[in-house]
Amino acid sequence: MTRLARFEKSVLPHLDAAYNLARWLTRNDHDAEDVVQEACLRAFRFYEGMHGADARPWLLAIVRNTGYTWLEKNRPSDLVTLDDAGAVSSESESAGHEAPAESNPEVILLQSANRKLVNLALEELPVGFREVVVMREIEDLSYKEIAVIAHIPIGTVMSRLARGREMLRRLIEIRMRKAS
Amino acid sequence: MAQKNDPVPEPMVARDATYHRAPDALRERVRVSLAKAAGEERRPSMGRMFGLVAAFATVALVSWSIAVFHMEPLRDDLIARDVVTAHVRSLMGEHRLNDVESTDQHTVKPWFSGKLDFAPPVQDRANAGFALSGGRLDYVNGRAVAALTYRSRQHVVNLFEWPSSAPDSAPATLTRQGYAILRWHRDGMEHWAVSDMSPALLAPLAE
Repeated sequence: MTRLARFEKSVLPHLDAAYNLARWLTRNDHDAEDVVQEACLRAFRFYEGMHGADARPWLLAIVRNTGYTWLEKNRPSDLVTLDDAGAVSSESESAGHEAPAESNPEVILLQSANRKLVNLALEELPVGFREVVVMREIEDLSYKEIAVIAHIPIGTVMSRLARGREMLRRLIEIRMRKAS
Repeated sequence: MAQKNDPVPEPMVARDATYHRAPDALRERVRVSLAKAAGEERRPSMGRMFGLVAAFATVALVSWSIAVFHMEPLRDDLIARDVVTAHVRSLMGEHRLNDVESTDQHTVKPWFSGKLDFAPPVQDRANAGFALSGGRLDYVNGRAVAALTYRSRQHVVNLFEWPSSAPDSAPATLTRQGYAILRWHRDGMEHWAVSDMSPALLAPLAE
């Protein structure tokens, strides 16, 4: 098997994950596509460096680096320095995972409103919190994987996740009040 | 007011946030650019150069190994010639065989001290049919070596010894010009014995 064939077989199945992270980093379809393409080329170039590791976090780390480089160049204001001094919040990890709602029209309407609200609020989060929430909640990566991808200690992953969720709740609250 | 006090539900990102899936167009675009990148790699590049250098190194290494492999017999041939010459010369006239004449290994061995930069093992092998008769200095394989002489029936045996870093090896038999030659390595010493007796009769000397 050629190097390209091996790469396509092991790495390209994670293109959805790559795009999802890039999309949440750049908040824009077009820019996300550019970031993903650039990241895939970089990944291909450094494919030997993967050494048989799990391809998804490996690719996501490259996507994140590429995304950050892109943000530095195009939207430096997005990159605010985070204060990680705050202690890990005692919020329970499992909070908020409920059974899926039933499918009556009213609930569906409410759900789609929720989706819009959550998406907008998530986009408003500073990128450092946003990426951790996206990787944990949407991509379902472990704390350890996120720590490796984002180059931060596991404790920081946990505190950013807790603070990210708290900020998200507040942002949704503000939007709901505005709407009412 | 009532709205304000309503508990805001925990945001359910996992359920409510959008999972952005890669559009098919992007998938295609990535494949095309990867194929292009892979094509460029086939042109001379650092990786390609490295491959060439590696290929050359491999060829050089293989040639060298073959040369060394063939040199080993060549070295044995040269030494075999040396020991036969030394053996023949030692028998050509009176007093050429031994500089120290003794059947006592405790007389022969000390004789070498101060004459060589190593202490040759000296053994009387009378119990194997080889009676020690003495020793001398000789020159084999481009160096000064210890030559021990034995008598076995009517035959004279020359045993040449010098230090070697080669690992121990079992005795190997060669014949040159009708002479039987026995070569072995033991305890950091290389041993070459030569005689006009049959190889089978010479073999016990190395035991």
